[in-house]
Amino acid sequence: MPELIKVRPTKIELVKLKRRLSLAQRVQKIVKDRLSILTMEFLQTAKDTVEAKRKLLDESSKLYKALSVAAGYHGYIAMEKELIASEADLKVIAGSRNMAGVRLPSFELIDNGKPMRGYNLVDTSSWLDRAAQLSEECLRAIVELAELQRNFELLAMEINRTKRITNALEYIVIPRLQATINYLKMKFEERDREEKARLKRVKVLVARG
Amino acid sequence: MPKPLQDEVKQSPYERVLQECLRGELRVVNTGLPQSQKRLMDLLNEEHPHVVCNDGSTHFFKKNELEYLASMLDTDEQRTLVLPMLIELGANQGEAAIICAAEVEEKIVSKALNMPVTREEGMIRIYKPQLALLRKKFKTTTVYVFSPKIVA
Repeated sequence: MPELIKVRPTKIELVKLKRRLSLAQRVQKIVKDRLSILTMEFLQTAKDTVEAKRKLLDESSKLYKALSVAAGYHGYIAMEKELIASEADLKVIAGSRNMAGVRLPSFELIDNGKPMRGYNLVDTSSWLDRAAQLSEECLRAIVELAELQRNFELLAMEINRTKRITNALEYIVIPRLQATINYLKMKFEERDREEKARLKRVKVLVARG
Repeated sequence: MPKPLQDEVKQSPYERVLQECLRGELRVVNTGLPQSQKRLMDLLNEEHPHVVCNDGSTHFFKKNELEYLASMLDTDEQRTLVLPMLIELGANQGEAAIICAAEVEEKIVSKALNMPVTREEGMIRIYKPQLALLRKKFKTTTVYVFSPKIVA
Protein backbone atom coordinates (compact mmCIF):
# COMPACT_ATOMS: atom_id res chain seq x y z
CA MET A 1 0.00 0.00 0.00
CA PRO A 2 1.53 3.34 -0.98
CA GLU A 3 2.22 5.86 1.76
CA LEU A 4 -0.28 8.71 2.09
CA ILE A 5 0.64 12.36 1.60
CA LYS A 6 0.20 14.55 4.66
CA VAL A 7 -2.67 16.90 3.78
CA ARG A 8 -5.69 18.40 5.47
CA PRO A 9 -8.83 16.43 4.60
CA THR A 10 -10.64 19.30 2.84
CA LYS A 11 -12.22 19.63 -0.59
CA ILE A 12 -9.65 22.28 -1.59
CA GLU A 13 -6.84 19.86 -0.83
CA LEU A 14 -8.61 17.21 -2.91
CA VAL A 15 -8.78 19.59 -5.88
CA LYS A 16 -5.09 20.46 -5.40
CA LEU A 17 -4.17 16.80 -5.26
CA LYS A 18 -6.12 16.08 -8.43
CA ARG A 19 -4.25 18.88 -10.17
CA ARG A 20 -0.94 17.47 -8.96
CA LEU A 21 -1.93 14.02 -10.19
CA SER A 22 -2.77 15.33 -13.66
CA LEU A 23 0.58 17.20 -13.77
CA ALA A 24 2.43 14.07 -12.69
CA GLN A 25 0.66 11.95 -15.31
CA ARG A 26 1.47 14.49 -18.03
CA VAL A 27 5.10 14.60 -16.98
CA GLN A 28 5.20 10.80 -16.93
CA LYS A 29 3.96 10.70 -20.54
CA ILE A 30 6.61 13.18 -21.67
CA VAL A 31 9.38 11.52 -19.71
CA LYS A 32 8.46 8.13 -21.16
CA ASP A 33 8.48 9.54 -24.70
CA ARG A 34 11.81 11.16 -24.01
CA LEU A 35 13.22 7.96 -22.56
CA SER A 36 12.22 5.96 -25.63
CA ILE A 37 13.84 8.56 -27.90
CA LEU A 38 17.00 8.68 -25.77
CA THR A 39 17.23 4.88 -25.80
CA MET A 40 16.85 4.81 -29.56
CA GLU A 41 19.59 7.41 -29.97
CA PHE A 42 21.77 5.63 -27.41
CA LEU A 43 21.56 2.32 -29.31
CA GLN A 44 22.35 4.07 -32.58
CA THR A 45 25.30 5.87 -30.99
CA ALA A 46 26.55 2.60 -29.51
CA LYS A 47 26.46 0.97 -32.95
CA ASP A 48 28.21 3.96 -34.52
CA THR A 49 30.84 3.98 -31.75
CA VAL A 50 31.67 0.32 -32.29
CA GLU A 51 31.89 0.93 -36.03
CA ALA A 52 34.07 4.02 -35.57
CA LYS A 53 36.37 2.16 -33.17
CA ARG A 54 36.79 -0.70 -35.60
CA LYS A 55 37.47 1.77 -38.39
CA LEU A 56 40.07 3.57 -36.29
CA LEU A 57 41.83 0.31 -35.44
CA ASP A 58 41.87 -0.74 -39.08
CA GLU A 59 43.16 2.65 -40.18
CA SER A 60 45.83 2.67 -37.47
CA SER A 61 47.08 -0.79 -38.36
CA LYS A 62 47.22 0.18 -42.05
CA LEU A 63 49.01 3.41 -41.12
CA TYR A 64 51.66 1.67 -39.02
CA LYS A 65 52.31 -0.79 -41.81
CA ALA A 66 52.60 2.01 -44.39
CA LEU A 67 54.87 4.02 -42.06
CA SER A 68 57.18 1.09 -41.43
CA VAL A 69 57.43 0.42 -45.16
CA ALA A 70 58.15 4.11 -45.80
CA ALA A 71 60.70 4.19 -42.97
CA GLY A 72 62.33 1.08 -44.36
CA TYR A 73 62.48 2.62 -47.81
CA HIS A 74 63.78 6.08 -46.83
CA GLY A 75 65.42 5.43 -43.50
CA TYR A 76 64.17 7.00 -40.23
CA ILE A 77 66.40 10.07 -40.29
CA ALA A 78 65.63 11.00 -43.89
CA MET A 79 61.91 10.46 -43.35
CA GLU A 80 61.84 12.55 -40.18
CA LYS A 81 63.69 15.33 -41.98
CA GLU A 82 61.10 15.34 -44.74
CA LEU A 83 58.17 15.15 -42.36
CA ILE A 84 59.25 18.07 -40.15
CA ALA A 85 58.29 20.40 -43.01
CA SER A 86 54.85 18.85 -43.28
CA GLU A 87 53.79 19.73 -39.74
CA ALA A 88 50.51 21.64 -39.77
CA ASP A 89 48.12 22.94 -37.14
CA LEU A 90 44.97 20.92 -36.82
CA LYS A 91 41.70 22.81 -36.84
CA VAL A 92 38.78 21.18 -35.11
CA ILE A 93 35.50 23.03 -34.81
CA ALA A 94 33.84 22.15 -31.54
CA GLY A 95 30.18 23.02 -31.20
CA SER A 96 27.14 21.50 -29.62
CA ARG A 97 23.77 20.25 -30.68
CA ASN A 98 20.62 19.71 -28.72
CA MET A 99 18.86 16.38 -28.78
CA ALA A 100 15.62 16.05 -26.78
CA GLY A 101 16.95 18.34 -24.05
CA VAL A 102 20.47 16.87 -23.96
CA ARG A 103 23.39 19.00 -25.10
CA LEU A 104 25.77 16.86 -27.12
CA PRO A 105 29.18 17.94 -28.38
CA SER A 106 29.89 18.07 -32.08
CA PHE A 107 33.42 18.02 -33.53
CA GLU A 108 34.44 18.60 -37.08
CA LEU A 109 37.97 18.39 -38.46
CA ILE A 110 38.57 21.21 -40.87
CA ASP A 111 40.52 20.64 -44.07
CA ASN A 112 43.29 23.21 -44.37
CA GLY A 113 42.68 23.08 -48.13
CA LYS A 114 46.36 22.58 -48.99
CA PRO A 115 46.75 20.32 -51.99
CA MET A 116 50.42 19.60 -51.09
CA ARG A 117 51.40 17.89 -47.85
CA GLY A 118 54.45 20.07 -47.25
CA TYR A 119 57.24 17.60 -47.94
CA ASN A 120 59.31 17.41 -51.08
CA LEU A 121 57.59 15.16 -53.60
CA VAL A 122 60.77 14.68 -55.62
CA ASP A 123 62.83 13.22 -52.77
CA THR A 124 60.07 11.04 -51.32
CA SER A 125 58.30 7.94 -52.52
CA SER A 126 54.65 7.00 -52.94
CA TRP A 127 55.00 4.94 -49.74
CA LEU A 128 55.22 8.16 -47.78
CA ASP A 129 52.26 9.61 -49.68
CA ARG A 130 50.25 6.55 -48.73
CA ALA A 131 51.28 6.89 -45.06
CA ALA A 132 50.36 10.60 -45.08
CA GLN A 133 46.97 9.87 -46.64
CA LEU A 134 46.28 7.14 -44.09
CA SER A 135 47.32 9.39 -41.20
CA GLU A 136 44.77 11.99 -42.36
CA GLU A 137 42.05 9.35 -42.43
CA CYS A 138 43.19 8.19 -38.99
CA LEU A 139 42.82 11.73 -37.62
CA ARG A 140 39.31 11.98 -39.02
CA ALA A 141 38.44 8.66 -37.41
CA ILE A 142 39.85 9.85 -34.03
CA VAL A 143 37.76 13.03 -34.10
CA GLU A 144 34.66 11.08 -35.08
CA LEU A 145 35.23 8.54 -32.33
CA ALA A 146 35.81 11.29 -29.74
CA GLU A 147 32.46 12.84 -30.56
CA LEU A 148 30.61 9.53 -30.58
CA GLN A 149 32.14 8.33 -27.34
CA ARG A 150 31.27 11.54 -25.49
CA ASN A 151 27.73 11.42 -26.90
CA PHE A 152 27.50 7.82 -25.76
CA GLU A 153 28.49 8.76 -22.18
CA LEU A 154 26.19 11.77 -22.02
CA LEU A 155 23.23 9.84 -23.38
CA ALA A 156 23.84 7.02 -20.90
CA MET A 157 23.89 9.52 -18.00
CA GLU A 158 20.71 11.19 -19.23
CA ILE A 159 18.97 7.83 -19.66
CA ASN A 160 19.87 6.93 -16.07
CA ARG A 161 18.50 10.23 -14.80
CA THR A 162 15.32 9.95 -16.87
CA LYS A 163 14.81 6.35 -15.76
CA ARG A 164 15.03 7.42 -12.12
CA ILE A 165 12.38 10.09 -12.73
CA THR A 166 10.13 7.62 -14.59
CA ASN A 167 10.45 5.06 -11.79
CA ALA A 168 9.83 7.68 -9.12
CA LEU A 169 6.71 8.82 -10.93
CA GLU A 170 5.46 5.33 -11.70
CA TYR A 171 6.11 3.68 -8.35
CA ILE A 172 6.05 6.51 -5.80
CA VAL A 173 4.53 9.83 -6.83
CA ILE A 174 1.47 8.71 -8.80
CA PRO A 175 0.48 5.80 -6.48
CA ARG A 176 0.84 8.10 -3.45
CA LEU A 177 -1.32 10.78 -5.03
CA GLN A 178 -3.92 8.23 -6.11
CA ALA A 179 -3.98 6.63 -2.65
CA THR A 180 -4.38 10.01 -0.94
CA ILE A 181 -7.14 11.06 -3.34
CA ASN A 182 -8.96 7.76 -2.70
CA TYR A 183 -8.49 8.20 1.07
CA LEU A 184 -9.93 11.73 0.94
CA LYS A 185 -12.87 10.60 -1.22
CA MET A 186 -13.66 7.82 1.24
CA LYS A 187 -13.36 10.25 4.10
CA PHE A 188 -15.85 12.67 2.48
CA GLU A 189 -18.26 9.84 1.68
CA GLU A 190 -18.03 8.71 5.30
CA ARG A 191 -18.78 12.26 6.46
CA ASP A 192 -21.82 12.39 4.15
CA ARG A 193 -23.09 9.10 5.54
CA GLU A 194 -22.59 10.33 9.14
CA GLU A 195 -24.45 13.53 8.28
CA LYS A 196 -27.37 11.58 6.80
CA ALA A 197 -27.56 9.27 9.83
CA ARG A 198 -27.50 12.28 12.17
CA LEU A 199 -30.30 14.00 10.23
CA LYS A 200 -32.41 10.84 10.34
CA ARG A 201 -31.92 10.61 14.10
CA VAL A 202 -32.82 14.29 14.58
CA LYS A 203 -35.93 13.78 12.40
CA VAL A 204 -37.02 10.86 14.56
CA LEU A 205 -36.46 12.88 17.76
CA VAL A 206 -38.42 15.84 16.35
CA ALA A 207 -41.27 13.52 15.28
CA ARG A 208 -41.48 12.05 18.80
CA GLY A 209 -41.89 15.59 20.08
CA MET B 1 -2.51 2.18 7.22
CA PRO B 2 -0.83 5.42 8.33
CA LYS B 3 -3.25 8.32 8.67
CA PRO B 4 -2.40 11.69 7.17
CA LEU B 5 -1.80 14.43 9.70
CA GLN B 6 -4.90 16.49 10.18
CA ASP B 7 -3.14 19.73 11.06
CA GLU B 8 -0.43 19.61 8.38
CA VAL B 9 -1.01 22.60 6.09
CA LYS B 10 2.29 23.14 4.31
CA GLN B 11 3.77 20.78 1.73
CA SER B 12 6.82 18.91 2.91
CA PRO B 13 10.16 20.05 1.42
CA TYR B 14 10.39 16.73 -0.41
CA GLU B 15 7.02 17.32 -2.06
CA ARG B 16 7.97 20.89 -2.99
CA VAL B 17 11.23 19.75 -4.59
CA LEU B 18 9.39 17.01 -6.45
CA GLN B 19 6.82 19.43 -7.85
CA GLU B 20 9.57 21.80 -8.95
CA CYS B 21 11.44 18.93 -10.55
CA LEU B 22 8.36 17.89 -12.50
CA ARG B 23 7.69 21.44 -13.67
CA GLY B 24 11.40 21.68 -14.65
CA GLU B 25 11.04 18.56 -16.82
CA LEU B 26 8.20 20.20 -18.72
CA ARG B 27 10.31 23.30 -19.28
CA VAL B 28 13.45 21.38 -20.30
CA VAL B 29 12.06 19.17 -23.07
CA ASN B 30 11.53 21.91 -25.64
CA THR B 31 14.31 24.32 -24.71
CA GLY B 32 16.48 22.92 -27.48
CA LEU B 33 14.13 24.16 -30.18
CA PRO B 34 15.54 26.79 -32.54
CA GLN B 35 14.35 30.38 -32.15
CA SER B 36 14.13 30.53 -35.93
CA GLN B 37 14.95 28.18 -38.77
CA LYS B 38 17.45 29.01 -41.52
CA ARG B 39 17.40 28.25 -45.21
CA LEU B 40 19.75 25.57 -46.50
CA MET B 41 21.14 28.01 -49.05
CA ASP B 42 22.13 30.48 -46.30
CA LEU B 43 23.60 27.75 -44.10
CA LEU B 44 25.78 26.49 -46.94
CA ASN B 45 27.32 29.96 -47.21
CA GLU B 46 28.03 30.29 -43.46
CA GLU B 47 31.49 29.46 -42.11
CA HIS B 48 30.08 27.82 -39.00
CA PRO B 49 26.48 26.92 -39.83
CA HIS B 50 24.32 27.10 -36.71
CA VAL B 51 21.01 28.29 -35.26
CA VAL B 52 20.28 29.78 -31.83
CA CYS B 53 18.00 27.77 -29.55
CA ASN B 54 15.28 28.98 -27.19
CA ASP B 55 17.60 28.68 -24.18
CA GLY B 56 20.24 30.85 -25.89
CA SER B 57 22.54 27.94 -26.76
CA THR B 58 23.70 27.21 -30.30
CA HIS B 59 22.88 24.18 -32.40
CA PHE B 60 25.62 23.43 -34.93
CA PHE B 61 25.06 21.72 -38.25
CA LYS B 62 27.57 19.31 -39.76
CA LYS B 63 28.81 20.55 -43.10
CA ASN B 64 28.79 17.09 -44.65
CA GLU B 65 25.10 16.71 -43.77
CA LEU B 66 24.31 20.06 -45.36
CA GLU B 67 26.27 19.07 -48.44
CA TYR B 68 24.42 15.76 -48.59
CA LEU B 69 21.11 17.62 -48.43
CA ALA B 70 22.29 20.06 -51.07
CA SER B 71 23.26 17.19 -53.36
CA MET B 72 19.67 15.93 -53.26
CA LEU B 73 18.09 19.28 -54.14
CA ASP B 74 18.27 21.86 -56.89
CA THR B 75 18.93 25.56 -56.22
CA ASP B 76 15.28 26.56 -55.86
CA GLU B 77 14.64 23.75 -53.42
CA GLN B 78 17.73 24.72 -51.44
CA ARG B 79 16.16 28.15 -51.00
CA THR B 80 12.87 26.62 -49.84
CA LEU B 81 14.19 24.09 -47.34
CA VAL B 82 14.42 25.45 -43.81
CA LEU B 83 16.59 23.76 -41.19
CA PRO B 84 16.56 22.15 -38.71
CA MET B 85 13.62 19.97 -39.74
CA LEU B 86 11.23 19.42 -36.84
CA ILE B 87 10.18 15.93 -35.79
CA GLU B 88 7.10 16.02 -33.58
CA LEU B 89 6.51 13.28 -31.07
CA GLY B 90 2.79 13.00 -30.56
CA ALA B 91 0.43 11.24 -28.23
CA ASN B 92 0.90 7.96 -30.12
CA GLN B 93 4.18 6.49 -28.91
CA GLY B 94 4.65 4.31 -31.98
CA GLU B 95 4.87 7.10 -34.48
CA ALA B 96 6.44 10.49 -35.13
CA ALA B 97 5.57 13.24 -37.56
CA ILE B 98 7.86 15.49 -39.55
CA ILE B 99 6.47 19.00 -39.72
CA CYS B 100 6.92 20.28 -43.24
CA ALA B 101 5.86 23.53 -44.77
CA ALA B 102 6.84 22.65 -48.33
CA GLU B 103 7.10 19.63 -50.60
CA VAL B 104 10.87 19.66 -50.41
CA GLU B 105 10.89 17.85 -47.04
CA GLU B 106 8.73 15.14 -48.57
CA LYS B 107 11.33 14.66 -51.30
CA ILE B 108 14.18 14.47 -48.78
CA VAL B 109 12.43 12.03 -46.45
CA SER B 110 11.35 9.85 -49.33
CA LYS B 111 14.92 9.78 -50.72
CA ALA B 112 16.50 9.15 -47.33
CA LEU B 113 14.11 6.32 -46.47
CA ASN B 114 14.05 5.04 -50.02
CA MET B 115 10.26 4.77 -50.02
CA PRO B 116 7.35 7.01 -51.01
CA VAL B 117 5.89 9.17 -48.25
CA THR B 118 2.82 11.38 -48.30
CA ARG B 119 2.19 14.72 -46.68
CA GLU B 120 -1.06 15.15 -44.78
CA GLU B 121 -2.04 18.43 -43.11
CA GLY B 122 1.55 19.69 -43.34
CA MET B 123 3.01 16.56 -41.74
CA ILE B 124 4.69 13.38 -42.86
CA ARG B 125 3.91 10.49 -40.53
CA ILE B 126 6.60 7.88 -40.02
CA TYR B 127 7.14 5.00 -37.59
CA LYS B 128 9.93 4.57 -35.05
CA PRO B 129 12.17 2.25 -37.15
CA GLN B 130 12.00 4.76 -40.00
CA LEU B 131 12.69 7.56 -37.56
CA ALA B 132 15.89 5.81 -36.45
CA LEU B 133 16.96 5.50 -40.08
CA LEU B 134 16.23 9.16 -40.74
CA ARG B 135 18.08 10.31 -37.60
CA LYS B 136 21.09 8.23 -38.59
CA LYS B 137 21.38 10.22 -41.81
CA PHE B 138 20.36 13.63 -40.45
CA LYS B 139 21.73 13.88 -36.92
CA THR B 140 22.17 17.63 -36.75
CA THR B 141 19.64 18.76 -39.35
CA THR B 142 16.65 17.35 -37.47
CA VAL B 143 15.42 18.15 -33.95
CA TYR B 144 12.73 16.63 -31.76
CA VAL B 145 9.66 18.58 -30.69
CA PHE B 146 7.48 17.28 -27.90
CA SER B 147 3.93 17.88 -29.00
CA PRO B 148 2.30 20.94 -27.40
CA LYS B 149 -0.80 18.75 -27.03
CA ILE B 150 1.06 16.78 -24.36
CA VAL B 151 3.22 19.55 -22.93
CA ALA B 152 0.60 22.30 -22.67
